This record gives sequence, C-alpha cells and structure tokens, in this order.
Amino acid sequence: MNFRDLLGKQILFFDGGMGTLLQERGLQPGEIPETWNILHPEVIKQIHKEYLLAGSNMVSANTFGVNAFKCKNLEYTVEELVTEGVRLTKEAIAEIKKENAAESDRPMFSVLDIGSIGKLLKPLGEITFDHAYETFREIITAGDKAGADLILIETMSDSYEIKAAVLAAKENSRLPVVVTMIFDENGKLLTGGDVASVTAMLEGLGVDAIGFNCGLGPEQMKKLLPQLTECCSLPVVINPNAGLPVVVNGQTVFDVEPDAFAESVKMLVGMGAGVVGGCCGTTPAHIKKVVELCGKMDIIPVTDKGLTVVSSYNHAVTFSRKPLIIGERINPTGKSKFKQALRDHDMEYIYKEGLVQEENGAHILDVNVGLPEIDEPQLMEEAVTGIQAIIDLPLQIDTSDTDAMERGLRYYNGKPMLNSVNGKKESMESVFPIAKKYGAVVVCLCLDESGIPETVEGRLKIAEKIMKTAAIYGIPKKNLVMDALVLTISTGQDNANVTLETLRRIRYELGLHTVLGVSNISFGLPERSRINTAFFTMAMNNGLSAGIVNPSSEPMMAAYYSFNALIGEDDQCMEYIAKASQTADRPAAPAVSKSSALTLYEAIVKGLSESAYEATVKLLEQNTDSLTIINEKLIPALDVVGKGFEEKKMFLPQLLMSADAAKASFAAIKTSLSKQGKNSGSKGKIVIATVKGDIHDIGKNIVKTLLENYGFEMIDLGKDVDPEVVLKTVREQNVRLVGLSALMTTTVVNMEATIKLLRESGLDCKVMVGGAVLTQEYADMIGADFYSKDAMGSVRYANELHDKGEL
Amino acid sequence: MEAVNSEIKERVNIREVYRYLGYGAGIPDDDIQSLTEDVIVHLVNAVKPKNIYKIYKCSTNESGVTLITDKALFFESRNLASNLAQCSRVVLLAATLGIEADKLLQRYEVLNMAKAAIIQACGAACIEAYCNILQEKICDACSSEGDRLYLRPRFSPGYGDLPLQAQKIIFEELECTKRIGLTLTDSLLMYPTKSVTAFIGLTANFQSCHINKCETCNNMECAFRGGV
Repeated sequence: MNFRDLLGKQILFFDGGMGTLLQERGLQPGEIPETWNILHPEVIKQIHKEYLLAGSNMVSANTFGVNAFKCKNLEYTVEELVTEGVRLTKEAIAEIKKENAAESDRPMFSVLDIGSIGKLLKPLGEITFDHAYETFREIITAGDKAGADLILIETMSDSYEIKAAVLAAKENSRLPVVVTMIFDENGKLLTGGDVASVTAMLEGLGVDAIGFNCGLGPEQMKKLLPQLTECCSLPVVINPNAGLPVVVNGQTVFDVEPDAFAESVKMLVGMGAGVVGGCCGTTPAHIKKVVELCGKMDIIPVTDKGLTVVSSYNHAVTFSRKPLIIGERINPTGKSKFKQALRDHDMEYIYKEGLVQEENGAHILDVNVGLPEIDEPQLMEEAVTGIQAIIDLPLQIDTSDTDAMERGLRYYNGKPMLNSVNGKKESMESVFPIAKKYGAVVVCLCLDESGIPETVEGRLKIAEKIMKTAAIYGIPKKNLVMDALVLTISTGQDNANVTLETLRRIRYELGLHTVLGVSNISFGLPERSRINTAFFTMAMNNGLSAGIVNPSSEPMMAAYYSFNALIGEDDQCMEYIAKASQTADRPAAPAVSKSSALTLYEAIVKGLSESAYEATVKLLEQNTDSLTIINEKLIPALDVVGKGFEEKKMFLPQLLMSADAAKASFAAIKTSLSKQGKNSGSKGKIVIATVKGDIHDIGKNIVKTLLENYGFEMIDLGKDVDPEVVLKTVREQNVRLVGLSALMTTTVVNMEATIKLLRESGLDCKVMVGGAVLTQEYADMIGADFYSKDAMGSVRYANELHDKGEL
Repeated sequence: MEAVNSEIKERVNIREVYRYLGYGAGIPDDDIQSLTEDVIVHLVNAVKPKNIYKIYKCSTNESGVTLITDKALFFESRNLASNLAQCSRVVLLAATLGIEADKLLQRYEVLNMAKAAIIQACGAACIEAYCNILQEKICDACSSEGDRLYLRPRFSPGYGDLPLQAQKIIFEELECTKRIGLTLTDSLLMYPTKSVTAFIGLTANFQSCHINKCETCNNMECAFRGGV
C-alpha cells in the first residue's frame, strides 16, 4: 500500500509535536534539534515509535529545520541530517511492525518533513526564488534517496516560498507532496495570501493534499476549515497546535489537553478533514485520543469543485456568471511608446500601465513584452516579478515564445493564466506540458493548421479537439478558457454573429469559460468605441466570461458595470452607482483650469506634475526647442528647489514633488523628440546601487530620480547588489561614476568591499556614497571619492564631474 | 479597520513624521500636511500589525543583562545594563507592521516618489506608535494595585554598545519568523522593514517619560536627532 492509494479513502493520522518532547529529554536552548538525529538517534527513534504506537500512520522525520542556511554553522551536512532523520523513521516503523504482530499490516509511512527556510524571497525579501529552490532541492534529493514515502512541506507562510519547495519536490522526486500552512484567524498567511489563492496555486502545481498546521488550535481551525473545503478539490490535512500559545514564566506553552483536543479534531474530521494530526504542544497522548475518537469515522469524500480560478499572491479570481475584465494594455502591439520603453528597459513604464489598469477596475492583467529584438524570456521574468511586487492582480502571461512562457509561469507567485494555445498540433505539444506543470489556466484559440474556421461548427470542433488533447496531458476542463475569436465586421458582415454563437455554444454546451479580445470587432471602422461597447454587451450576454479590454476606456467599463447591474450580479446596483457617480464627479471637459495658467517653471517649483506636463506640451506646440525648455525652464526650476533644499528652506517632499513634475515635463519632451526620431541625449551614465546585504533602497531611489532629471542616464542595479555586479556593469558599460547607498553599519562593510573591488580593477571611475550611518570621515576611510550628505549633494557632484568633462 | 489599527492612527506622532522628513522642529506647508494625513490613513488601513513578546525576570551587572528563564540568556552591553538597572522585569518585544507597508512603499516608489518618502516616514512613526501601545498594555497588565510598574525607554539591538548580533538570540527566543513572519537577513536587518525588536524594562520607580527619543543614541551628528 502506498500513501497515494490510501489518501482520501480512509482517515489517516499524522504524528504530533517534536520540539517540546525533545526539550523534556534534555535538548538545550540554542541546540539545533536536528543534530540529535546523529547525537541521540535512540531518543528520536523512541519518539517516532511512541507516535506509531499511539496510532499515527505517518511519522515525520526530525528534519523540519534542516537547510543549508542552518547547517552553515554546524558540523553536519544537510544530507547527513536528512538521511539519518529519514532512516530513524524507517527503523521505527520496521521495529514496531516486528515487535507488534497486530501492527504488522497497519499502513505506516516515513515522512520527509520540510519547514520554512526562514528567509523572505525577492522581490520584497533577501533571497532569490532560485536560491530557495536550490535549498529545498538539496533536502528533497537527500530525503528521497534515504527512502522517505512522502514529502510534507509544513508551517509555511509565504506562497512564493511554498512554490519553490513544491517545484523542487516535483522536479526532483516522484514522492507524494503534502503542503500545510500557517494561517491566522482571519485566514491569511503572514505574507498576505488567503486560503483560496494558495489552494488554487497548489492544486495547479499538482500536490496531493493541502491543509493547515501550527499557528492555531483545533477550535480556531474549525472556523477556517470551511474556507478550504469550499474551494479545495484535494484531501484536506489538519495538524493543529494544542491550542493557542500561552507564555508562562517566559516559556511558551500550549494547554489544550488530549481529550479536549481529540473532541475538536473529531469535529474537524466531520467537517471534511481527511488527514489529521498535531503540531506544537501535541504529544503521543493527544494523537492516541484522536485515533481513538476518529479512527472509525467515515471519511467525507473529496469532490472536484470544478472552479476555473486564477490567483495572485494574495487573492483568487474565480470565473463565474459575472464577467471579468482582463486588462490588455501591457502589450507593445501597435504602441510605439511601449516598444521604446521595452527597448530602453524602462520597467517603470510597464508598471505604470499596470497600475492604471488596476485603478480602473481590471481583475486580471495581460502581460506581453514580446519584441523581436529583445531577450523576451528574461524580460518576461522581470516584468512578472516586478509587476507582482507592486500590483495584487493575477496575471495572464501572454507570449508565443515557449521559453518566455516557462520563465513567466515559473517565477509567477500564484496560479497564473496563460495566453495562449491553439488547435495546431505543434502549439498543443509545446504549450500543454508547460501549462500542466505550472497549473496555468490556458486561453485556447479556436484556430488550427487550417486557419480560423468561418463557421460556428468549425470553431467548436477545434474547441473540442483542444479539450480532448488537454485531457491527455492531464489538464482538466476547468483550466481551459476558450477564445471564440473575433474578426472585424468591416471585412465580413457575419463575423460578429459567428463569434457570438460560438461563444454561446462553448459556454453552455461544452461548459467551458470563454474569453475574447473584444475590440478587434471594429478594426477599420470609424468611432470604434461605439461598436466595441455594443459588441461587448452582446458578447457578455452570450456567455463571455472574461473580456480582454482596455479598462481605461470609459464606455467599455460603463457597458460592463451596466451589464452586471442588468443581470442581477451587482448587489443593489452598488457598484454601478459608485462608478457612475465617479464619472459624474469628473469635470466634463478640461476647460481652462487654474493650473494650466502656470508656467513650466512655476509648475516644477510648486511640484505639480500635471501642470508641468501641460505647460511643456504648450511650449512644444509653440515650437519652443526642447533644449531651450530644458536649459531655460526646467533646470533653473530644479536648481531653485535644490538650493532651497540645501538651505533648509524647502524639504524632501517638496524636492521630490518637483522632481516628479520635472519627470512629467521630460516625458512630454521625450515623446516629442521620438516623433522627430531623436532622443534627448545624456550628460553621462551613472551606475547606482544599494550595496550587498542592504535592503532599504528608498534613499538610492530618491537620488536616482533627481539625477535623472538633471539629464544623467541612470543604470539602477537595485538593492542588495553584489560588488561583482557593480564592477561588471561599470566595465561593460564604460561608466565613470558610481553611486552607492548603505543604511546600516553592518552593510557599510560591503560598500567598502565594492569600492575596493572597483579600485583593484584599475578602472577609471569615481565613487560617491551616501546613507544614514555614513559620515565624511567614514566615507574617507572606505576610500570613497565623494560623500553626499543628502540627495542634492550627489547632483552637485555629478554636475561638477560633467562640467570638468570627467563623465 | 481593526481596533489596533485605529489605535495606531490615533497615536502616530505626526511631529516625528515631519522630523523624519527633514523638517526638524518645523511644520510643512498645508499641502504636505494634508498629504501626510492621507498617507497615514492609507498606511494604517493597509497594514496588518503583529507582535510577540515574553516577560522575564532580569538581573544586571556592569557588563550586561541576564534574562532569567529555565535557561539564562545573557546580553553583553553596558548601555543596556544601565537602561535596565532598576528593573525587576524586562519585556522582550518583537513587533512589525507586516509586509503590506513594504508593498505600499515599493508601489509608490514607482508612482510618486514624494509620497513614497512620506510613506517611509509614516511607516517608521506607525511602528513606533504600535510599540508604544503594546508596551503600555503590557505594563498595565503586569502592574497590580499598590504595585504600579513603570516603563523604561525601549532599547533595541544596535543602540549604544548592544550589537546587532543580539538580534539572532532575540529571533530564536521569540520565534519571530514562525510567529509573526519577521525574518532576519544575513546582514542582520529585518524584513518586513517596518519592524522593531526591543528590550523594555519594567520598574517600580516612577519614570517621567518612557517614550524613547534619541537619548540612547551616541550619534550626536545625526541630522534627525531630536531635542534631547
């Protein structure tokens, strides 16, 4: 019998806590529990045996805290501790079976137990996704080799770290994978994920069971369990603490006794938990009671909830009768500014497109960064992780490049959407394996080798073919969303009819959700939004589940909110009313507002971005030369603010508001120049970075904003930057000035190391430094060329070098 | 809004926010003031504050402090010892605004740098406010009638001669990562960034002011130094 055969068929029992039992047996404070696998193997084995005798089916190896970070200061390797840990569970099982004839047939499994690494992942945190993956891979490879029967990834509180662990498990073993997480009483992970979002992600990644452990006691988990059983189509695991932690005399204790614990767990089983055990504070006595009470209970069968769902790191979006909006704007097709931003690696431009769409009501964002001349896989990874760092919406990875597809899906935090596959054999063969592996919801285009069928039947046939082929790859119907395809009515009178009928039949006969790139309907026609909105409404009424549209188009969104209100999917028309009043609040036409009376100089000094933009546009319309605008209006305005700042007459927020206003002005100038096929030129390249080990980068970002405005080309390496990376960039891009920022005394050493490396390389480049703990004296000591005590200092220094021709 | 969030909003010291923004003892113009007030509301609505603490009996000698449990945790620091000299008990506290504050900050570093700087300052003031709220509650809970306890100023790793290395012991002792999602980097910085770990002494001797300003810091040159 293996674990997968029994899972979901009968109630299975995990073991309970390990830490407190070890303390009772003499584990000293500060001592790493896992070292006992080697120092006191008999004690560990004895605990496993006690749990097995209490009735546990699964015994978790004492490997929870083993990882490369922890082992750094130990004399044992990860492999040694894991191998011994797993071996002890297997020995315990063998001995129990041998010693007790009655136990010989009872299913018992050795569990490779994996906990959190305890580090937060980038983009917010310290270590890369790949680093986390490698850390888990090392543990999993050792545990698999040692003969564990299943992998338990537990006590997790970050969905991204969980994804790294699950991928490591799936790619390096064939063992069943169980994932349990710590949720708080509101059903949230510490990094913000909710039950539905991580469940969607984990089901997609193909784990075997999902559940809760630690953090809460059984009573609190009872309140959360319905959230899980409602959306989860996999067996549910519940390993609670023996109540909530209570601190007594400086010690954390858990005080729910075995009887009460077991009574609560019994209720959890009655509510749908199929695998139960314990966590902190639970003992063999707790498990024994649980097995006594629940051992004979019938398991509640797990049903497929059939939900089509995607998720971001913090929430799930479920396809339903109420249509969804997929924002289409992150896409270079037909947008010269967007293309230029991609070529310039201007990620901020892409992020802003995303933020605007989020603000305007998108539920999902399409992300397409494909241009022939760029490294699309690399850029897709950057765009996906970068957007996810600041925007909460689920993403639709949109590319035809399978490498970019895989990169986007792999580094995505949540359950992604993928755009797209089609009915061509080649397309299905290349896309489905990737979609299956990462659990994406796939957009399927109803076309194949013979093109786009003109008839409804033709498109349906392709939809069915795609569905059947997907099933062969193990992709269920719920993870497919069909694109019925839109051709413009300007070239075929019946085009809308065919699309609408195809939609209706896919949705209601095949039972699949649907998607359309709505605005294609009006290509070649004047006043396109009239046709688009009418068609959008018709499509929604014919079963469109999600429209790929521009959320910033007011008529489209008006059609959308009206539709929801009309079909009774807008409670008391609240959303409609809210949106309608927003629109009404807006002034009908931007008549001569008071701001437009401001000159560019005034607008920048006052820090008003919109006015600065308008004023610049006006100057350009009057044929003012862009260099004149920069040198005679923009820079003098920035100088006056900068001077005010240095004299403490103006302060940081004002300085930055002016910088943002100047940026808006530059944007207008850049657009105008690119229309003339020119660029704005540069006063020189500057590399800027927050040094290795340091994660606070607002100071660096402030400096970057200011220098950009003074016409310097900034190469921003981000935070926590390795000295080697700084050196490489300086060398490759032939840079003459480097700005380094460090906040803490502990990271100033890395600033010094970076400077040292640059000096040793013999490259002719100056280094300016800044940061909270730095002083002139300190800067001199570590060999910097310039100490900038505030943001303006760096501008002065860079300008000085520029004037001397040293940049 | 959760009760504690509204409490933080009430308690944020806006003068401190202005000081972090470089205004010294001055007050910004009306636009910045109202932007700051908006940011505080925005931030307080977004964050999910969490804390964990333990209370110890403690003893001090000239070289440092020992927290007494079934084990003895020793922290070598003269400055900490003098901070806790008259204290019968000490609270070891870890508190964080959570990852949401960092998310918001990253978002506005793209959208609006001035607002980002204000979020940064407000975040710092909010975590201070949160710690003030927590420590007062803990102090009240530890006091009994006729046995009123008072708070000493908070003392964190990195203050005076208490090295940042102390973070490692605190993190292990309070299980910060598992309990409240607070992580420690190799360079001993905390993630989420709007977080505090601190020793807080409880003493029977009346204290006139427990809100820590700059008195424990030796950096006399600091541009943000308060009027202490």
